[in-house]
Amino acid sequence: MAKFLGINRLAKLFQIIRESGGLKQTYLKLYRNDDLKIGTLVGIDKYGNKYFENPYYFYGRNRWIEFAPHVNMDYDGSQIPADWYGWMHYKTDLPPIRDGSRPKYKWLADHSENLSGTKEAYMPYSTTPPKVEAWDPKAKK
Amino acid sequence: MSILRQVMCRTAPSSMQICVRYASNQDVAPLDLNTALARPEEVEQRNKLSGKITVPVDVNLSPISGVPEEHVRDRRVRIHIPPKNAMQSGTDNLSKWQIEFDNRERWENPLMGWASTGDPLSNMNVQFGSKDEAITYCERNGWRWFVDGDDKPKKERVKNYGVNFSWNKRTRVSTK
Amino acid sequence: MIRAPLVKALGALSSPTHQIQIGSRAVRTTAVIAQQAPAKAPEKIEVFVDDIPVQVLPGTTVLQAAAQIGVEIPRFCYHERLAVAGNCRMCLVEVEKSPKPVAACAMPVMKGWRIKTNSDLTRKAREGVMEFLLMNHPLDCPICDQGGECDLQDQAMAFGSDRSRFTDINYTGKRAVEDKDIGPLVKTIMTRCIHCTRCVRFASEIAGVDDLGTTGRGNDMQIGTYVEKLFLTELSGNVIDLCPVGALTNKPYSFVARPWEIRKVSSIDVLDAVGSNIVVSTRTNEVLRILPRENEDVNEEWLADKSRFACDGLKRQRLVAPMVRMPNGELQAVEWEGALIAVAKALKKANGQVAGVSGQLADVESLVALKDLVNRLEGETLVTEQGFIKGAGSDVRANYLLNSTIAGLEEADAVLLVGTNPRYEAPLVNTRLRKAYVHNELQIASIGPKIDLSYQHENLGADASLIKDVCSGTHAFSKVLEGAKKPAIIIGADLLERPDGAAIHATILDYCQKLKKKDWNPFNVLQNNAAQVGALDVGYQAGVEAVIKAQPKVLFLLNADAGKLTREQLPKDCFIVYIGSHGDNGASIADAVLPGAAYTEKQAIYVNTEGRPQQTLTAVSPPGMAREDWKILRAISEVVSTPLPYDTLDELRSRLEDLGPHLTRLGELEPASLSEAGSQATISKSINGGPIDVKQKELRDYFMTDAVSRASPTMAKCISAVNKQQRQNEQAKQSVAI
Repeated sequence: MAKFLGINRLAKLFQIIRESGGLKQTYLKLYRNDDLKIGTLVGIDKYGNKYFENPYYFYGRNRWIEFAPHVNMDYDGSQIPADWYGWMHYKTDLPPIRDGSRPKYKWLADHSENLSGTKEAYMPYSTTPPKVEAWDPKAKK
Repeated sequence: MSILRQVMCRTAPSSMQICVRYASNQDVAPLDLNTALARPEEVEQRNKLSGKITVPVDVNLSPISGVPEEHVRDRRVRIHIPPKNAMQSGTDNLSKWQIEFDNRERWENPLMGWASTGDPLSNMNVQFGSKDEAITYCERNGWRWFVDGDDKPKKERVKNYGVNFSWNKRTRVSTK
Repeated sequence: MIRAPLVKALGALSSPTHQIQIGSRAVRTTAVIAQQAPAKAPEKIEVFVDDIPVQVLPGTTVLQAAAQIGVEIPRFCYHERLAVAGNCRMCLVEVEKSPKPVAACAMPVMKGWRIKTNSDLTRKAREGVMEFLLMNHPLDCPICDQGGECDLQDQAMAFGSDRSRFTDINYTGKRAVEDKDIGPLVKTIMTRCIHCTRCVRFASEIAGVDDLGTTGRGNDMQIGTYVEKLFLTELSGNVIDLCPVGALTNKPYSFVARPWEIRKVSSIDVLDAVGSNIVVSTRTNEVLRILPRENEDVNEEWLADKSRFACDGLKRQRLVAPMVRMPNGELQAVEWEGALIAVAKALKKANGQVAGVSGQLADVESLVALKDLVNRLEGETLVTEQGFIKGAGSDVRANYLLNSTIAGLEEADAVLLVGTNPRYEAPLVNTRLRKAYVHNELQIASIGPKIDLSYQHENLGADASLIKDVCSGTHAFSKVLEGAKKPAIIIGADLLERPDGAAIHATILDYCQKLKKKDWNPFNVLQNNAAQVGALDVGYQAGVEAVIKAQPKVLFLLNADAGKLTREQLPKDCFIVYIGSHGDNGASIADAVLPGAAYTEKQAIYVNTEGRPQQTLTAVSPPGMAREDWKILRAISEVVSTPLPYDTLDELRSRLEDLGPHLTRLGELEPASLSEAGSQATISKSINGGPIDVKQKELRDYFMTDAVSRASPTMAKCISAVNKQQRQNEQAKQSVAI
């Protein structure tokens, strides 16, 4: 009966609001992520991204990330580091914090996100010599 | 006349140009056997019954050809005979008239240094049997045109092997 | 083998159609008779080429007769503009009833001959010759610069055999010849040479330097310079075109491009006043090389070295952005807007004290735009850098043109050169004179320093008073001029810059009234830059003195790079605006530099020294922010709110037509009649200047004369090559003395 009236959904909503920490926090979360979900916190990577899982949702939507608060709205899929990438994309069910067999070398490079659209984006430059040499008024003849 | 053509290319075509247009062999429709064999009065009758009259008007294809407006309005076509390549002695390709569009800006690909162009007509090479055909073609497509160079008859020169050895002329060759 | 055509040719010489003119200095060829006495045109004879009847003049060769009906007989050694050599044997054709195939290039036709240009015998003969040629020709087409535009390649495809019988590669091998260093312009790969001797004939007939020749015979024959030296003439580039194989190729262009990747744009050369017709080869928006284009009236098929090889100067020292001189005295690149506003501010302040100077490379369109702009700003002073006689001399067009026309000089039979060295000022005018010298028994004398003109001429001396002597009829050469059928006097443009230039001009003009014939104008001024005639045509004054006198507040320099005007001659607050393509003398003294287009980058009209307007076409786009010169002037007029009344090139051209209707009749020559009024302003001053001199005396003076060639590294190499050659010659002389 409760199911029929949709009360369980309402209850779910209240649960989400409660777990998110109040109406304001819920609103902010919805604003940032375009989604409201609750789940178990699987782990936090060294950049501050939080990884969640909730098998209640359908496969494909049951693992998600809340990006570190300092990136604000400038989050991007490429901010997921390589070690969490496998878990996020269902390549493995063992998140890196629980997977002890992963090698941890000193020389492993830090993760870097995709820089397209930022100032640091890679710009190709011509490797050919210029076809026309401009006159330099300062050069003495 | 030719000067007028060269300078004011797209003014209203004069009567001479209309003549030329219909004299040009590209505009002649294939012969219909019925029409060809009919008696003159039959032809007249048929024309009257057909309910159409042919009016020789200025044909301009540019509104329906789909060529962008800017490539009709702003282009200048040069009608010419391709010059002989100074490096070769063959002359077989030098009899046709050719149209060529004004050269537009090209720019360099920043990575590879290749040249790019935004000009779709830069590679259009159309050859014509005569100057007038080329003019007709340009007029129909609404391009401004000018004729560059004329097919002047070649100067006849008499060549003589003997002058290489003549004893009293400056044509005698010194080095061999 | 050579004897057969020789006997025929000698027979032809004594045939009744070839009359010997009694009283003339020499026996003349049929060509000369045909030119000089058109009244008695010899009867045409009929021959059959592939069973098609052809009417030809007697003395026509088999090859020419075939060409009349469009049958092209393959050839290597034969060239239209060179003497017949008859040594490649590629043009062998069958003639009915002749026991052997005949060499079509050397054999004059006889009445009723039936020539078979595609018979079995003919084809077999061609295949045989081709096989012999290919036997000793390397198979290096893939790395050969001539590949794709090679006569040997083409003709091997069309007329050669489909297989080779050459199996000797392991035994004696192919012929190999050492390469020769003949200069910085022409690269030699002598193994490829097929001994057509076109280059040898060009050097001795057209260029007039007997530097090239053959040594050895048969398989051991070599083309070379006999002793180790450079082939240095102002026309050396033409042997590259003439060479039917890749033995002589373009050194600066070597391994640069293939002919099929190139775009060809027909244009006009502006580095001398001849206005040679050229084809600009471009690829990827870059001018790669320049080739001559055939124009019987101007450059025939030749091109001078500066015009051909200075094209790399178009890529160096270019102005690519507008520049304005900052308070610290340095030119700094700015946007167009800033530069135009700076110019406009100066123009507003100038209050009508505006002047313009045009230089060597200015086109007629921009000259007119500058004139209109300056006039609208109430300025009057518009001058050319190159001087001319003072006064009203430039009002009459015939006063500054080469009135006999370039092609006409070929028919001249007595020429006096006054203060000019046509060999370097206009090399292709000199080839005409040399042609007349060789084929027309032209007699030439010069007043000026002793120079080498590549043909024999009489140097009368350098004293200016000689002009008076000749023109009063007392000098010995006056008799020659007065007795000539087509005499011509050619005055160098630099000579008329002298203070007594007007007197020289008037004296010679008076004398030319006397020498004048029907349809023949003997008075010639040989200009030495491409812009001069155009500028005088649209109403510019000659000489920068007018500007110095006017002391303008704003001065436009339109391509003016000759350095005749210095900052010191102008008022301190004079704002100089330079419009042009290269950073040179003009740009370095300017307060605002506006980058214009070079001659390969704009469609513009230039008028050559004989008064023939011709137009260049856009081959590449101007580099960077550079724009066409007239558009810059149009933009300035807009900013100073006196817009010029033309927005497009067509509108500007119709304005040109208002100024001078001849200016838009492109390629046509408007004959300028020698006015009687011309001599009215006569000899107020007498000819009293010092000895006559010319600027370009030697080859090294030839290579760098304008902003483009001064920027060209190839031209610099040429000069150092000439200097090196001279040093070697001196050393050789010294060692002989020791």
